[in-house]
Amino acid sequence: MKKIELLAPAGDLERLKIDLLYGADAVYIGGENYGLRANAPNFTLDEIKEGCLFAHKLKKKVYLTLNIVFHNEDMKDVFSYIEKVVEAGIDAFIVSDPFIISFIKDNFKVEVHLSTQNSTSNYKSVEYFKNEGVDRVVLARELSKIEIKEIIDKTKMDIEVFIHGAMCTCYSGRCSLSNYVTNRDANRGGCAQVCRFAFKTDEEKDFTFATKDLNMAKYIKDLIEIGVSSLKIEGRMRSIYYLATVIGCYREIIDSYYSNDLTDRKLTRLQQILDRVANRATAEHYFMKEADATDQYYSGRVELSNQDYLGLIIGYDKKNKCLILRERNYFEVGDEIEIFTPEHKNYKLVVKNIYDENMNKLLVARHPEEILKIEFCEELPKYSMIRLIKKNENKSR
Amino acid sequence: MKLLVELSEKNEDIYKEVDGVIVALKGLAIESDVYYTIKEIENIVSKYPKLEVFVKINKNIFNKDLEILKEALIKLDKLNIKGILFYDIAILQLKKDLKLNVELVWNQTHMVNNYETCNYYYEHGVKYAILGKEITLDEIIEIVKNAKTQTIVEVVGIPSVAFSKRKLLSNYYSDLHKSAKNKIVIEEKITKDHYEVIEDDNGTSFYLDKVVNATGIIRTLYLNETEYILMREKGLEKVFYELVVDTKKYIDNKCEDNTYVDKYKMLGEFTNFFFKKTIYRVKKNEKN
Repeated sequence: MKKIELLAPAGDLERLKIDLLYGADAVYIGGENYGLRANAPNFTLDEIKEGCLFAHKLKKKVYLTLNIVFHNEDMKDVFSYIEKVVEAGIDAFIVSDPFIISFIKDNFKVEVHLSTQNSTSNYKSVEYFKNEGVDRVVLARELSKIEIKEIIDKTKMDIEVFIHGAMCTCYSGRCSLSNYVTNRDANRGGCAQVCRFAFKTDEEKDFTFATKDLNMAKYIKDLIEIGVSSLKIEGRMRSIYYLATVIGCYREIIDSYYSNDLTDRKLTRLQQILDRVANRATAEHYFMKEADATDQYYSGRVELSNQDYLGLIIGYDKKNKCLILRERNYFEVGDEIEIFTPEHKNYKLVVKNIYDENMNKLLVARHPEEILKIEFCEELPKYSMIRLIKKNENKSR
Repeated sequence: MKLLVELSEKNEDIYKEVDGVIVALKGLAIESDVYYTIKEIENIVSKYPKLEVFVKINKNIFNKDLEILKEALIKLDKLNIKGILFYDIAILQLKKDLKLNVELVWNQTHMVNNYETCNYYYEHGVKYAILGKEITLDEIIEIVKNAKTQTIVEVVGIPSVAFSKRKLLSNYYSDLHKSAKNKIVIEEKITKDHYEVIEDDNGTSFYLDKVVNATGIIRTLYLNETEYILMREKGLEKVFYELVVDTKKYIDNKCEDNTYVDKYKMLGEFTNFFFKKTIYRVKKNEKN
C-alpha cells in the first residue's frame, strides 16, 4: 500500500524548508507569475532551483502552481518560463488551463496536476483529463466522502484533496466577486477575499457568507482508506509557526495510522493543538453532509490573533548552555512552554531565566524580533520553535 | 454578425426577430430565470426551423447527475439544435464516449479569456466560445482574430458574478431566525454597488444589479467580424423586445446608423470591463 502524501504550502524558501523538515512529503509553491497568489512573496527561478535541490536531497517533491485563468498576454512568455522551471528541477505543475496542460505534456517529461480551480466534481471530468495525460486531479472542495470514493474507484486516478485551511465560499473558478467589487482579478491571483466582507441588506443584520476553515484531522483515516493519494494543506501566506504546527500534527496522524497507533486520545490531543493554532473556527464542510448553516460565519471577517508562538530557535550558546531564539510574542519568567523540533521531539519546561544577547537577565520578553536566550541542556535542530502552554496568570503584563 | 438572446421569460414573439436563442435545460442549468424541458426545446426547434437554438447545460456536474446528463445529451443530439453550452468538462468526455454529433460551446463563465485555449477546445471538437465578461475589448478583438472557434460576445445584460453550492440565503435567514427568502439585494459598503443574490436547489447565484450596456461597441465587434453578439433580457424586460428589433436592424445595416447608439445610451453608461483592465498584483514583489 502506497503511503499517502502530505502536501504543504510554501510561500517562500524558508517556509519550503520548514514544511519539509516538519514532515511534508511535498510542497507547492508559486513562481513570480501565473499562480493564484500574486501578492505572496513567491519564488524566483534561482529560489525554485534551490528549493528543488533541498527537497530532492530529502527525497521529497516540489510542485509549482501555474493555475491562473490565462489571458492572451499571459501566454506570451509562459512557454519559456515552463522550460526554465523544468530545468530548475520542479516535479510537477499544478495547472487549470487545458491548453497549458497539453503544452507541458507534449514537450516535457514532468507531471501535471489539475488544479482545484477547475472544480472537478465527477468521474467523467476526471476521465477526460486522465486521457489528456494529467497525472493527478485536485478535486473540487464541494465533494463528499462517497463521491470522492466513487471517482477513485471508477477512474483509478491519483486524487488530491484539501484537508486543512481556508475555503472559498463559491466554486473555485466560478467567482469574480473580487473583480467587480475591488477590480482585482480573482482568477489571476488578485483575489481580495470579498466573501469575507459584510454587505448591507434590508434586514437588521449584515449579509455575510464567509466560511469557516477546513479541518479534516478526524477523517484522515477515511481519506486513506478510500484511496486518496495526496492530502493538501492550504495557506501559502501562513506563518512558519502555523505551518510547522499543522504539518507536524498531520504527519503524526498519518504515521500513527500506518503504525496502527492512531488512538482517540492521540487524535484529541492533536486536534487541540490544531484548534489552538487556528485563527478562525473550523468545520468539515462537505465531507459527511452538505455544507450548511453551521459551516459559516455571520459576523463578517473574524480572525483571531494567535500569540502562542513565542519564538524561533536560531542557535545554541554552548558556553552558557542556552538556546538562542528570535522572539515573536511576549513571554515571561514562570511561563510554561513547549519546545518542538522538526524531528517531532517535544520538551516541556518552565521558563526560569530569560537573557538578552549579552547574557543580561530579563524578567520578560516583550520585543518581537529581539534575540534572546533561555537555559536548555542541549543543542536543538535549526527551525525548532517555542510555543506557550500556559501563561502565568497571576502576574500582570 | 448574428444576434443571440437569452430570455428571462418564455416569449416566442422574439424568436422571429433574432438569429438565435439560448435556452437553459431544466435540471442541468443554472443562472437563468427560465428553464426549458427537452420537449419544450423540441417544440421550439420544430416551430422555428430558422432559429439557431443553443441549449445551456452549465451546472457543476456531480456523479449522481451523470446518468441524467447522458440521457439528456442523447436526446438533444437527435434534435436539430445549433449547439450545447457546457461548463463541466464531463460533457466533452460524454460527447466522445457517445459519439454525439451535436456541436459544443465553451461556456466556462469567467474562464474564456484567451484564444490559445479557444483553439485547444476547437481541436477537441468545440465549435463556439462565449467569451468571459471580465476581459477588455482589446482582448476580445485579439481573441476574435486568432481563435478558430466562433466567438460569442455578451454586450447587454446583468453580469453573473459568482456561484456557490452553499444555500447562503437559507443559512443567513436561519441565523436571523426568520423564514428564508430566495432572492435579496445586498449592498457593498464602499462602492455602494448592489448585487442580487438568488438561491435555488443548486445553490446561490450572485449578479451585479447593474445593466452592462455595450451597444456602443457593437460596430467595433461587427467590423472585426465577430460571429455572434449576445443580449440577456434579465433586468431589461421592459425595453428588451424593442432593443432586440433595433439591434437586428442595426446589424443588418452594417452598424452604420448612429441613431441606434444614441437611442440606447438610455440603458446607462456602464460598460463593465470592456474599457477597464483588472489588476491582480497589488504589492510590488520586493525581489523585482
